[in-house]
Amino acid sequence: MSTGQTLLTIFAFVLLSTTLISFYRLMGATGDDISSGQDGILATTIATSYMEIAQGLAFDELTDTSNAAIGDPNELTLPNNLGYDNVNEDSIHNFNDFDDFDGFAFDKEAGATGRAYRTQFAVNYVDDDDVSEISNARTFVKRMDLKTWRIMPPTPRADTLNLSLVLGYFHFD
Amino acid sequence: MGAILDIIISFVVGGMLLLIILTANDIAAENHAIYNGDMLVQEMLISTAQIIEGELRNMGFGVAETVATILEADSSSFAFLTDLDRDGDPIDTVRYFIGPTSELAGTQNEADRLLHRQVNGAPSMQIGAVTLFKVNYITQGGDVLDRPVPVSDLSEIHTVEVTMEVQNPYAPMSMVGEQALFSSSLWQQTRLASQNSRR
Repeated sequence: MSTGQTLLTIFAFVLLSTTLISFYRLMGATGDDISSGQDGILATTIATSYMEIAQGLAFDELTDTSNAAIGDPNELTLPNNLGYDNVNEDSIHNFNDFDDFDGFAFDKEAGATGRAYRTQFAVNYVDDDDVSEISNARTFVKRMDLKTWRIMPPTPRADTLNLSLVLGYFHFD
Repeated sequence: MGAILDIIISFVVGGMLLLIILTANDIAAENHAIYNGDMLVQEMLISTAQIIEGELRNMGFGVAETVATILEADSSSFAFLTDLDRDGDPIDTVRYFIGPTSELAGTQNEADRLLHRQVNGAPSMQIGAVTLFKVNYITQGGDVLDRPVPVSDLSEIHTVEVTMEVQNPYAPMSMVGEQALFSSSLWQQTRLASQNSRR
């Protein structure tokens, strides 16, 4: 085999190796995408479950303890005091109003998949006319922002699911 | 002699190349089958989940406060009251349950079965194929009730946690018999038995 032929063979091998590496990398990336689809399903269902529970709670600590209609938003909890109202409200089952979630982060394992997800909550008053704007004053509308991401098994590519839930105060006379 | 050696080396190198390409081709085909299966089960799961999710969202809708929303609470079946047509009366009874595995005996997967939805005792409708349909019933205090929940305890149910798994009815081509591994996807959601119970 001449030097030229040897070089050509080596070049062919290098080319083949490069092609194969790209091929396997692409296949791995496809697998990651499919796996992140399952992550998306689980993260969404977990976040939706929390939202469902939050929707079933009173609008405010005041409206939970009083059946009288509130006409003035300044009677509601101060924006800085949003969050759990006493030490007993330390778990989701003890929450009694929507903003008790504020500042909490809960971890949940998804069945027997071995995957666990963390959800972080923030609750704020929002502008009645534009719910995308956080209000520093008390209003009759609160927004819960949820962030859910996978914590187990850890992944460098963990996407964070961001969802928001808006709840307005209402009262039946 | 040199020419013969060249031919032998060429055969060896060519053989190696052929082997590498054939192996890569096999791996690509198998992975394609696996990924396709994964995507398929995710789509099957979501289409079934959307039906359940939409319906559980209205669980207890139009039901009087004094009446228990859940009528039957077992590990893989449950029935609840809701006003499906929003006419106020009569309140409808919706039941979800899984059928026997014999319903899908024709598939390679021995664990898959049909999920049924029944309204007001009418013949049931098949809404999807699942391999797991598990329901947990949780009280307001967070306790998980033993199943089946006795009728006397049905009113204690505050949230219903539904776990559903869908597996591919068929395994990838190189995995057959007892070695077969099926793509699977899991869905788990918690729903309130009654929307206004804590308002």
